[in-house]
Formats: sequence, C-alpha cells, structure tokens
Amino acid sequence: MISILLDVVGSVLLLVGLLALSVGVQGLFRLSDTYHQLHALGLATGPGVMAVLASSVATEDAATISLAVLGIIFVAITSPVSSHAIARAAHRRDQSGEQ
Amino acid sequence: MPTAVLVLASAWVTLLLVGGGLALLRAGDVVHRIIALDLLAALVIALLALVAYLRAEPYYLDAAVALGLLSFVATVAVARHIGSGGPVE
Repeated sequence: MISILLDVVGSVLLLVGLLALSVGVQGLFRLSDTYHQLHALGLATGPGVMAVLASSVATEDAATISLAVLGIIFVAITSPVSSHAIARAAHRRDQSGEQ
Repeated sequence: MPTAVLVLASAWVTLLLVGGGLALLRAGDVVHRIIALDLLAALVIALLALVAYLRAEPYYLDAAVALGLLSFVATVAVARHIGSGGPVE
C-alpha cells in the first residue's frame, strides 16, 4: 500500500520536474533577452532539478534518498547564486558598454 | 517506481539535452552561452539521478552532486570574468 503511494508521489514529482525543465529549455529558445532567459533558467530549472531529485522517495533506498536530499540542498543553494552572478555580469557588461 | 516511467523520463531528458545543445549553438552572445551551459549542467544532473533510480545504484548521485558543485563554481568564475575582467576586483 505505502509502496504504491510512494510510486504515485514519485511519478508525480518526476512529471512536475520534467515539465519545469521543459519550460526552462523552451524559455531559452523563445526568449531573446538575457534577463528574460535568466528568469526562465532560475525559476524553472532549479525547482525542476529539485523535483526530479525529490522523486527518489519512490526508490525506497536509504542511500539514494540521502544523496538526493544532499543534491537538493546543494541545488537550492547554488541555483539562485549562479543566476545572480550571471545577471550581475550581464548588467555590469551592459553598463560598461554604454559608457 | 515503474521502469517504463523512468525509461520514458530518461528519454525525455535526453531530448531536452539535445534541445539545450541546440540553444547553446544558437546563442549569439557570451552570456547566452553561459546560461545555456548552466541549463545543460542541470539537465545532466537530472539525467544522472534518473540513471541512479533506474539501475538502483546510488553512486550516480555522487556524480550528480559533484557535477552540480563544479558547474556552480564554473558559472560563478566565468560570470566574474565577464563582469569585472577577472576573479578578483
């Protein structure tokens, strides 16, 4: 019973994550502005990867789940920081180009 | 999790990787290329996680975590390089 429930939860999380990743790739294709692309990347890709990692609950394996939780923590910390670094670099480059 | 779901998901992430590679080739600006490479790293992390579930081997997740941290350091380093001309201001 609990195994079926975990399967359903994992599959739904996997679906959500893949949808978010697809939105991220689609955003990279459809949007031409740097900041718009960063919007798609930062808001869709990080949570997408986190959802795919969170679907490890369906494996019911302690080592897999703990490593996936570690990965979720790292992605949650690094994804916004790298988005911010890219945005800062783009902004500074724009500013130095205008002078 | 059913194996069919995992295989389908892996195939879909592989398709997304191809799409991300096309976006990388299409990018005309350096910043766009950095964004595309960041996205590719995220997709490879997801693919490694799916392979770990599929083969029931947690070791692939070690590689996923290491790749995530490496891509973070690489992205920040390149962004600093472009934004200010070097890692140190």
